[in-house]
Amino acid sequence: MATIINANATSKTPPSTAPPVEPLNNDAARLYTHIHPVLVLSLYAFSFSSLVADPASTLLNTLAPLAILQIAYVAVCLPPTGGTPTIRKQKPGEKRSRVPSKLENGLNGKIVPAFLSLLLTALAATPLLTAILVLFGAPVTTHHPHTLLCGAHVALLSTLPLVYVHGVNGETWRQVVALLLPIDEVYGGLIGTVVGAWLGAVPIPLDWDREWQKWPVTIVTGAYIGYAVGKLLGGTLLKGKKIMFD
Amino acid sequence: MATRTVLLTVANLLIPVSILIFATGFFPYKPFMPGLAEYEELGWNRILGDDWQKPPAAPFDKVIFMVVDALRSDFVFGEESGMSFVQSLIRDGTALPFTAHATSPTITMPRVKAITTGSIPSFLDVILNFAESDTTSTLATQDTWLAQIKAKQFDNGKGKLVMYGDDTWLKLFPDFFDRADGTSSFFVSDFTEVDNNVTRHVPNELLNSDWNAMIMHYLGLDHIGHKAGPKSPNMIPKQKEMDNMVQSIYSAIENEDHLANTLFVLCGDHGMNEGGNHGGSSPGETSPALVFMSPKLSKVTQNTIKESPIKPSRGNEFEYYRMVEQSDIAPTLAGLLGFPVPRNNLGVFLTEFLGFWDETPNRVQLLYRNAKQMKKIVEATYTSLKFTDEVLETGEMGFECFSLNTHLTDGQNLACLWQRVVNAMGNNDEFEHIYKFMHEAQDTMSSTASNYDVSRLVFGTGLAILVCALSYLTLPSFRPITPAGIYYALTLVLYAALMFASSYVEEEHNFWYWATSGWYILLLLSNLRKEWYDKWFFHPAIMALVVHRVIRRWNQTGQKYAGADDIVNSGIFHGNNSFVLWALIGATYMDIMIRIARHVARSIATFDNLQNVQNAEIESTDHHRMIGTVAVVPLVGTAFVFKLAFTAKDAPELTAGITGGMMESVETLNIVGLAQMVFGGLALSGIWIAFAEWQRSKKRVATRQEGNGALAVAFFDLMALFLITQTKAQNIPLYLLFRLQFFFLRLLNLSPAAVTTTTLLLTQTSFFALGNSNAISSIDLSNSYNGISGYNITAVGALVFLSNWAGPVYWSLASILLLGSHGSTQRYIETSELHVADWVTKEREYLNELARKEEKGRESRRDGKEWGRHVALLTLPKFLFAMAWGVAWHLGVTVWLGGLAWWLGTW
Repeated sequence: MATIINANATSKTPPSTAPPVEPLNNDAARLYTHIHPVLVLSLYAFSFSSLVADPASTLLNTLAPLAILQIAYVAVCLPPTGGTPTIRKQKPGEKRSRVPSKLENGLNGKIVPAFLSLLLTALAATPLLTAILVLFGAPVTTHHPHTLLCGAHVALLSTLPLVYVHGVNGETWRQVVALLLPIDEVYGGLIGTVVGAWLGAVPIPLDWDREWQKWPVTIVTGAYIGYAVGKLLGGTLLKGKKIMFD
Repeated sequence: MATRTVLLTVANLLIPVSILIFATGFFPYKPFMPGLAEYEELGWNRILGDDWQKPPAAPFDKVIFMVVDALRSDFVFGEESGMSFVQSLIRDGTALPFTAHATSPTITMPRVKAITTGSIPSFLDVILNFAESDTTSTLATQDTWLAQIKAKQFDNGKGKLVMYGDDTWLKLFPDFFDRADGTSSFFVSDFTEVDNNVTRHVPNELLNSDWNAMIMHYLGLDHIGHKAGPKSPNMIPKQKEMDNMVQSIYSAIENEDHLANTLFVLCGDHGMNEGGNHGGSSPGETSPALVFMSPKLSKVTQNTIKESPIKPSRGNEFEYYRMVEQSDIAPTLAGLLGFPVPRNNLGVFLTEFLGFWDETPNRVQLLYRNAKQMKKIVEATYTSLKFTDEVLETGEMGFECFSLNTHLTDGQNLACLWQRVVNAMGNNDEFEHIYKFMHEAQDTMSSTASNYDVSRLVFGTGLAILVCALSYLTLPSFRPITPAGIYYALTLVLYAALMFASSYVEEEHNFWYWATSGWYILLLLSNLRKEWYDKWFFHPAIMALVVHRVIRRWNQTGQKYAGADDIVNSGIFHGNNSFVLWALIGATYMDIMIRIARHVARSIATFDNLQNVQNAEIESTDHHRMIGTVAVVPLVGTAFVFKLAFTAKDAPELTAGITGGMMESVETLNIVGLAQMVFGGLALSGIWIAFAEWQRSKKRVATRQEGNGALAVAFFDLMALFLITQTKAQNIPLYLLFRLQFFFLRLLNLSPAAVTTTTLLLTQTSFFALGNSNAISSIDLSNSYNGISGYNITAVGALVFLSNWAGPVYWSLASILLLGSHGSTQRYIETSELHVADWVTKEREYLNELARKEEKGRESRRDGKEWGRHVALLTLPKFLFAMAWGVAWHLGVTVWLGGLAWWLGTW
């Protein structure tokens, strides 16, 4: 029976030897990495009442602010994928016409990867997470915008920083899925968001008759809180630890 | 090893003991007064005059009691009601409307008990309701208004009773009725016959003048509710039919002289929720209508609300007019027809009817007799308190009644209220005090919180903890800590915690669905960790999760979203679409047939080669397989036809898409005989295959070969066919989905601990996915008489359990196969080691779970008063379900049946 798996299995994913992601070594990064979750939670708290009143449009309206916050966070605090600021240099046979200015350096090295991560988050992570939400019991026949936007928020919180840091290297992503990466604030944020969103489903069936028990308010709440908690723990207490499984 | 076995055995034996001890303390003790009430000496002659005790003249001498099953208040009083004639009577002032609060459990038999005795039936009556023929639950020896009418001397001799409708009444009141025609409510698809069977007797009975009480009990409206809910298109026509019935009876009362003094009561025994079911305590279920009708009522309706139709009160959408208790019917009838209030009554005479008596002493007498009768029950409950008919000093009472800063217990409060009644006798404010006492007594005595036997609860809980401790000792070491073990522990801890939230008792399925989803993802992650799987979106764990997503939507269950759309009710299986359903059912049967055929082929091969081959593992040839299939077709075919024939009677909307000719021939078949053939065929096949495997195992022993547990697989497949036979047609495709999940789980090569977790989650999930919940109303009785023509309590009980726990039984057996990888040829495991480790953990966790459930019951008792009625009502049914899980499922299925399958697998 096990052979069926083996037929498709390419390799045993080795545990990652990469060190945990460190925030950039400057004061702004060290400071902002702690301010950022406060800002994200404030954004959430600020929009909570309208989220309860009208989930779909509020989720849509807060999508852009959240994306900006996340982009600002990764650009200020995190090393972009590969760690080298100029990717263009890598291509062989290309003429180097001029030395890039400092601003251009910043744009090329940070903002562009940040927006690429946003694009990937929107195109790949959001549909994937939405599908997982449905598999976990999100309504199939109704509330389509709610579920999709909920998936988008979870994706922005969890995967955008991770794409920025790790790029699209297949091997790394296997390690991400198999929980083999060492924990850091980015990976901790992902795990926290996903677990938080899952735990967010618990209050829905209670008979408290509160407006906020409706779909998907509690899921989004769980995701935001989980993100903040996961990021904090991942960046401090659990930093560098690996998830031991067996 | 030996001590482990002993400890485990002791622990298992202690489970039912602890549950029973807990149960005896948990089910409220009710003082019971035997004998028939009589008018008694009241005293107070010194104050109220010598002849005040003469029973006042009764305004009525006949009663027509029309029960419409599940007649919710809005069906009569609401704006969308079809009962326009009753509404016109309310406007005329010749009908007095109420909403009669029915206490949980809202099912017919306890409700009829409440209506006739005025008492609040205990939850034990629920169990007796299912064991319908049980004679200990009859009311033949109890004091009811029926018994009182029978005993009363009317103008034309002793009272006579006639009864038409639901045969519950005939079972409760054997030999009470001079004329009767009972109707059984076995097939709920019957909307018309059950009612015509009542209606056809009515015109004749209205011409007869010999009876004093005519009872009618219509079932059709309840059947419509069960089938299609309160918004069914059949509902309004049925209400109109009932309304016409009321009209013809009422006009007979108006026109016939011998019916001139007839009181006509129309009531529901309980209501229904938005899903059309009942049994629980939601407002819809507990709010049946109650209407008293008679031309004479215009005397007492000058000041009552005559608006109709009317809007419900704010806060409760089913509360129309005044909300009274269902038990109030009994004393009210007693007063209006002039007989003593039944002895166990906790109802209060409805104050609206006092207007029939012009003189104050008569009114005082009526109420005082009612109050005095209730006082006797209170007295029997609080034996240490003084409830005398004399004014007492504070010193004699033993506590201060009228001080503001002392906190009185329930009993002391009642004693004080009774003192006030005694003090007020002869003044003009005695009405107020008597009513206050009666209402307080009613509230206190009907709440169960005050009546637990605490020492037994503590003892039972202590035993449960001991069970935990014993099984804990049998555990092998906890290390290495596995994700499966952590997940198992977390699930149990969270489950135990959530059981304290009453809504998670109602919505328990959500917890299991949620935990199972998480478990599949964990399985995915831990598998991907071991070896990467490129097409990970088609990973077996993901596929199992997809199947799980479909399974959880199959049946909507629980209370909060009762009646919401699910796959079964979405219409894709109904009417002309039912061929979709039957194609899926057919596929399920086909799958099982192929499997059983393989086992039979194997057995034939065994005997075919018995003499000449040394090797015990003889492969069956095509020839054998063909014979096997031919041998199995009749069995599976019969099972399928049985299901079709049964569904055609039970749920005809599910067979509408099958072509006419086939259905016609199927409908003529004898259902009982078919079911017996299926069960017999299953037993025969089982014996045959077991015999063949026994032959093989003898050979294996001779040649020292290892078996691969094929018999366990055969047992599982035969059992699956049996379980399908015990499942409603619309749920049968679920077994195909279960099979798929089983297939995917097999691919995952689960560790024993992971199998244990999977088993726990899937047994619970499948229980709820099949449409069950923790509400009594969700128990499905339709398959409990399969193959049984008479009444046999053991057989019916077993079938009730197996048909409601079919999913858990299926997964319990499936997990045995997952555990040992039976039937596969490749894997070698150290069976003995595995056996111990897994079974022990499994046992222990179930015991823990059980103990926690009990703990919960105990906890709710501790905080009983604060938590109030709601929780008490919830915990009772949950406790019954916990009992069923603990005793019947854990001991009966997991230990016994699972052990049997494991043992068969070792042949």
